[in-house]
Amino acid sequence: MENDSTVVAETEPADAPEAKNGDSDSGVVIETRNLSKIYRDFWGRKKVNALKSLDIEVRQGEVFGLLGPNGSGKSTTIKLILGLLFPSSGRVLVFDKDASETSKNERIGYLPEESYLYKFLTAEETLDFYGRLFDMSGSARKQRVDELIKLVGLQGAKHRQLREYSKGMTRRVGLAQALINDPDLVLLDEPTTGLDPIGSREMKDLILSLKKQGKTVLLCSHQLADVQDVCDRVAILDQGELKELGRVADLLKVQDVTEIHTKRLKPEVEAEIRAIIEREGGTCTIDNPTATMEDLFLNIVRESEARPGARRVSGSNTPQETTDTDQKAEDNQGEAGQ
Amino acid sequence: MILQPEDFWSFYEWLMRPESFLESALLQGIVLFVLAIVIGLMVGYIISANRYGPGEGFYAVARAIRDLVRFDLPGTSAHRVFALARLAFKEAIRRKVLFVVGLFVALLLLAGWYLNPESSDPARLYISFVLTATNYLILALALFISAFSLPNDIKSKTIYTIVTKPVRATEIVLGRMLGFMAVGTVMLVPMGLASYLFVSRGLSHRHAEVVDVVKEADGSLVGETDYVQDHKHSFTIYPNESDPDGVAQGLTDLDRGHRHIVTRDANGNFEIGPPEPLRARIPSYGEIQFFDRGGNLKDAGVDIGAERLDAGGYGSSGISRVIGLSRGSRKIQHGYVEGGTLGKAEFTFQNVTPERFPNGLDLDLSLRAYRSYKGDIESGIRGSVTMKHPSKDIESNPISFVINEYEVDELPLPLFTEGTDNNQTRELSVFEDLVDENGQLILIIKCLDRSQYLGVTQSGIYLRAGENPFWWNLTKAYVSIWLQMAMVIAFGVMFSTFLSGPVAMVATFACVLLGFSAEQVYDTRHFIDSGIERGGGPIESMVRLLRQDAMTTQLDVDTTAAKLIKTTDAGIVYSLDAIATALPNLPKMVGTAEYAASGFDIFGALLMRHAAATLGYCLLAFIISYFFLKSREIAA
Repeated sequence: MENDSTVVAETEPADAPEAKNGDSDSGVVIETRNLSKIYRDFWGRKKVNALKSLDIEVRQGEVFGLLGPNGSGKSTTIKLILGLLFPSSGRVLVFDKDASETSKNERIGYLPEESYLYKFLTAEETLDFYGRLFDMSGSARKQRVDELIKLVGLQGAKHRQLREYSKGMTRRVGLAQALINDPDLVLLDEPTTGLDPIGSREMKDLILSLKKQGKTVLLCSHQLADVQDVCDRVAILDQGELKELGRVADLLKVQDVTEIHTKRLKPEVEAEIRAIIEREGGTCTIDNPTATMEDLFLNIVRESEARPGARRVSGSNTPQETTDTDQKAEDNQGEAGQ
Repeated sequence: MILQPEDFWSFYEWLMRPESFLESALLQGIVLFVLAIVIGLMVGYIISANRYGPGEGFYAVARAIRDLVRFDLPGTSAHRVFALARLAFKEAIRRKVLFVVGLFVALLLLAGWYLNPESSDPARLYISFVLTATNYLILALALFISAFSLPNDIKSKTIYTIVTKPVRATEIVLGRMLGFMAVGTVMLVPMGLASYLFVSRGLSHRHAEVVDVVKEADGSLVGETDYVQDHKHSFTIYPNESDPDGVAQGLTDLDRGHRHIVTRDANGNFEIGPPEPLRARIPSYGEIQFFDRGGNLKDAGVDIGAERLDAGGYGSSGISRVIGLSRGSRKIQHGYVEGGTLGKAEFTFQNVTPERFPNGLDLDLSLRAYRSYKGDIESGIRGSVTMKHPSKDIESNPISFVINEYEVDELPLPLFTEGTDNNQTRELSVFEDLVDENGQLILIIKCLDRSQYLGVTQSGIYLRAGENPFWWNLTKAYVSIWLQMAMVIAFGVMFSTFLSGPVAMVATFACVLLGFSAEQVYDTRHFIDSGIERGGGPIESMVRLLRQDAMTTQLDVDTTAAKLIKTTDAGIVYSLDAIATALPNLPKMVGTAEYAASGFDIFGALLMRHAAATLGYCLLAFIISYFFLKSREIAA
């Protein structure tokens, strides 16, 4: 890794072009108005004030993240949006319909926190069943099921009952069922939990590709790095209250530091830059960037799959310049590496 | 099998009760629905007023009703219902409920150990065994699968992925109910086949040879069969000159509920046929009237003792009993006719036509005998039956018979008989001289032995209009079991929409139990209403138990205490009575097994009534389930 010679100075990172979508004046998909939820016990006594007067808007085409520690109200919010819970006060509108209306579900895909699926069904039966719930015709259903099984990479296991599946595989089926109706709005509750790094990366790529297709994604997660990688905007909740809401890029921007990325520099050039900055009264550190553990891991796995049996020796390969990551992913790696 | 008044009703009579609408099933159903709606609205309002405040609560209830009528009912898709039903079906099958069928088969295999081979009527024993076993197994199964499924889904949160699809509460409820009914059907079919095989194979036997054949003076042959399956028959073959081959046939006596045909060919070889097929008699009942010893018309026959406890048979009174408009027992007990007097029972039969009875009138008798003195103990009490024209003074000569208690005795009435026509003796044709132009015929039953008594009920004497095959009757008995199962499933699903699995099961079980003991609750209320000491309500009974008091004495406690106990008891019993009236009459439905076991065709009207009631209860359970599911926070 030592011969990776990128100099990192700090400068204002350029926004990924897609990220601008979130700003455009597109329609509001989810709107919560003064949304509150109080959990009560059987006798109507107040137990927890899980959500206090939440006002957020999720616009079409953006990836919106809900962040917060355990018990901060993220899941409650998602359940209120889905109509699984009824608000104690306030309203949720999804596609301008009340959350309690069944018809809104036609355009929604939901991946629950854990994949709550019927263990006695096979993957194919599961997807077929959910397809039936959308009143899809037999042929359309079959085509869609095949597509999704391919998408989540379960071709080899589609005839096995879900009880035999690993957690990651169940998660994939869960994802596939969330997409069965080609939804306009996808709600993902902890999408990367239980997935290995490859699965996690694939999930993130998928979220981004959904975004590219113009879909709206609302996700909540503990994996801050994931949120950072994919979300356009985030809302940070704590103890049921909205603490922060804004564009990821804006929120994370460190205003008084500049970062410069360049190819490996010769020592004299490096010294010159240093001199220029010092002349202007600044200080700087010049260093080689570190890759993320995720990149390292993905590279190792890719290589081992490309050349089975070969043993990778540490330092024999660069973690950069992989072929199939898109522009956005590369940007994200830069951010993740900070 | 003694039929009660309501058993004779046609479907229309049951539904409408033309003379007394207060007793009708339709009214009972309407009241039940109205009550459910009123209580539902009240409970719904209280809950939502608690949740959202009084004003908003009203709108919440209004919205719920609007949603059902405007969106959820019209929006219910058969496709989704089918998908959900399929899921429920697969779930049950993959949870290996078919194991119960295996259990049933094992039960049948072991049945030979404990079904008494010396029973006087093995057919009854076998049939009632298989039907009872099926009935309780299926009801228990229905209870389990229906009560646990939905709560399990909610607990394991799999329901999240369902309700976040465009699935309506109506579809979830209907899907479950239909899916489980399909499971039950899939199980009932093999159980029915196994039952049919078990009964028909278990009862089939052959007698191989005849013994002790003696030729009587009149040329008839009398003998006995060999001893097979704990019984033997005696038989008589009358000589038959008309058959040129010299083949003669005779019947054995009725033993173990069946007969065989014995054939003697020209060479003198005997052959004993298989037992008669199992029966499903189609009775044609008449109206009964009693006349006392002086020949005067009476409401009922002679009461020979503790026949009438003044209890039972309330089920036919419907709503009118609950609100106190009709009191007293309606249970039919045997009425007795005094022997050697003008006392008689007259049966008026309708629709006696040559088309229905081409081979003569097959009269079946299930009578009782009561001896007021010992008399000749060797021979039975004798009775006679006379055919009479409804309006003209024409009647046949009496045909006498000996009363066989506790079995159905067959007495074929000839189509041509000696009789009197206005004091003239002549040969009468039944259809031309005795049956009037409306197809009516009167049969007069008398007891011939002086001071002995013959007991009869309306269902005790009937003309056998035909027989249905046994398999068809068994199928009908299974349909009745299916209907019970459907009801239990509907109740189980209903409770499971708002209770946890075990609690839903207990609640459903309580309903089944209360449904089964409804008549006892009615009894207790009847005794309380009419001041008859029969142990009183639950608290009084407990006091009597502890004090070791007899149940027919006055309650021997302090006046105030007695008043308190009786008031509390009345409150409990009246509430139980109301609830029991609202619940399905399961004993009546289980009772169809008795028809099959006794060899009677299960009346179509009876089955239709059960089907209509089942449909009504399922509908009610469906609507209640919908509101509970709709108003429930799935994720709470």
